[in-house]
Amino acid sequence: MTEVGIKLVFSLTQIAVVLGIVLLTVMILTLAERKVLGWMQDRMGPMEVGPYGVLQPIADGLKLFFKEDIVPAGANKFLFSLAPILALVPALIGFAVIPFGPNKTIELFGYQFQPFVISDINIGILYILAFTSIGAYGIILGGWASNSKYSLLGGLRSAAQVISYELNVGLAIVGVLLLAGSLSLVKITEAQAGGFWHWYVFAFPFPQIFAFVVYVISSVAETNRLPFDLPEAESELVAGFFTEYSGMRFAFFFLAEYANMILVSCIAAALFLGGWNAPYPGTLLPESLAWVEGVMWFTVKVYFFLFLFFWLRATLPRLRYDQLMRFGWKVMLPIALGNILVTSIAAYLFPR
Amino acid sequence: MTKFTAWIKTIIFYEILVGMKATLSHLLHYKPITLQYPHEKRTLPDSYRGMLALLRYDDGTEKCVGCDLCEAACPSRVIKVFSAEVPGEPTKRYAKEYYMDMTRCLFCGLCVDACPVDALGMTREFEWAVYDKRQLRLNKEQLLAIGDRSYPVREKRLEFQHPNVAFFNVAFKGLPEKES
Repeated sequence: MTEVGIKLVFSLTQIAVVLGIVLLTVMILTLAERKVLGWMQDRMGPMEVGPYGVLQPIADGLKLFFKEDIVPAGANKFLFSLAPILALVPALIGFAVIPFGPNKTIELFGYQFQPFVISDINIGILYILAFTSIGAYGIILGGWASNSKYSLLGGLRSAAQVISYELNVGLAIVGVLLLAGSLSLVKITEAQAGGFWHWYVFAFPFPQIFAFVVYVISSVAETNRLPFDLPEAESELVAGFFTEYSGMRFAFFFLAEYANMILVSCIAAALFLGGWNAPYPGTLLPESLAWVEGVMWFTVKVYFFLFLFFWLRATLPRLRYDQLMRFGWKVMLPIALGNILVTSIAAYLFPR
Repeated sequence: MTKFTAWIKTIIFYEILVGMKATLSHLLHYKPITLQYPHEKRTLPDSYRGMLALLRYDDGTEKCVGCDLCEAACPSRVIKVFSAEVPGEPTKRYAKEYYMDMTRCLFCGLCVDACPVDALGMTREFEWAVYDKRQLRLNKEQLLAIGDRSYPVREKRLEFQHPNVAFFNVAFKGLPEKES
């Protein structure tokens, strides 16, 4: 077999595994969200399908799969079909550059492979930001193509909100990039090795704690989750941009929302909380099994963020639209800009 | 100083943190108030106003005397009574036919209050969802059957409850002998 063939097979296997894990996590999340919300509100959550409702995601998936696929009268059919794909693909494609475990290479048939990252490109974080912005098009086009006023209003709100908060996400990340000196997620994570005081939330020249808070709040807004779920505000807009969607197309939007949640959690874990690095220097397990520990810490950090999403949803009511805009432009943006200023001065005074 | 603490509280999202602590404490001290309804059921109070039923005396005769007062009291015209003489007893009446259209009933209990002989009762049955709403127009036999299964302890006839009161219904057969 040629070199290209082997590399292609390896990459395809990697992509299949990552995609499988992401979709499995989405399934777990749909159940976990309902369960955690229920427990926080003194309820039980789903209890009927399987013991303690653990088979609920499968039942939901089957139900969505067999639902009728309705295209409303007067809808733009092409854009109506395109929008869910435009929402889902950018959400899934971002996982290509996420490092899930330690940056080590294995040798297979005489060639070098990185098993824990699909492709370690040197503009990783920029790539993710670019593609998550395309995801907003899916929402806007879906809202417009539905030929429904609620969908259109949801799409418009989404456009304004995602643009405002993308900016804050980008600016919050800049501080970390200044300290790490790289856009590659693998290099950024490697720079944080050796104990939690090296993580960029607490790192020496200037702790990125403000950038971290800005990033977390903005990423909640960017994924259209409560308390920033104005594009799909149930009490105001029926269901926002996917009011007219049903069946598998609705399932695509649903998948995209949860995949986006996982993606922003992965970025937060990799950029601010040290990715696969343990909070203590080195690893406890022997060298050959160190990757197990790395993957475990990465998973723990990602799931902490996902829990935070549910926790915020259970606690906070929805913001009003003007409050959302004021908070984004007048509070988050100056903090992010000030953080960049202070971080660059600190990075200049204490060069690595 | 108070201004400074207020400022600090704004900076660290104090109110939001308090709220998140509240939800987390509910998660950690998880005590659901949910009752898994079809599997476990609430104990209903005795005064529960559920399905209506016609009752009988302990000798198996119907209590209803066909006076139509329930029909008059009913605010949503649920009840329809066709009164008739008891065959062979010209002064005594009974409900020859008795219909209740339970699709309209609002379970106010006015018919139970209006009944002079306590022939109507409210049971604790409430699971009366059916596929055909015509099944909810109940006749006398069905209402009596509900009463039979919900009120196993029946009253004695009025004249046996108080043997010393005067009987106005002189045509009643088989009166107990008065102790002279």
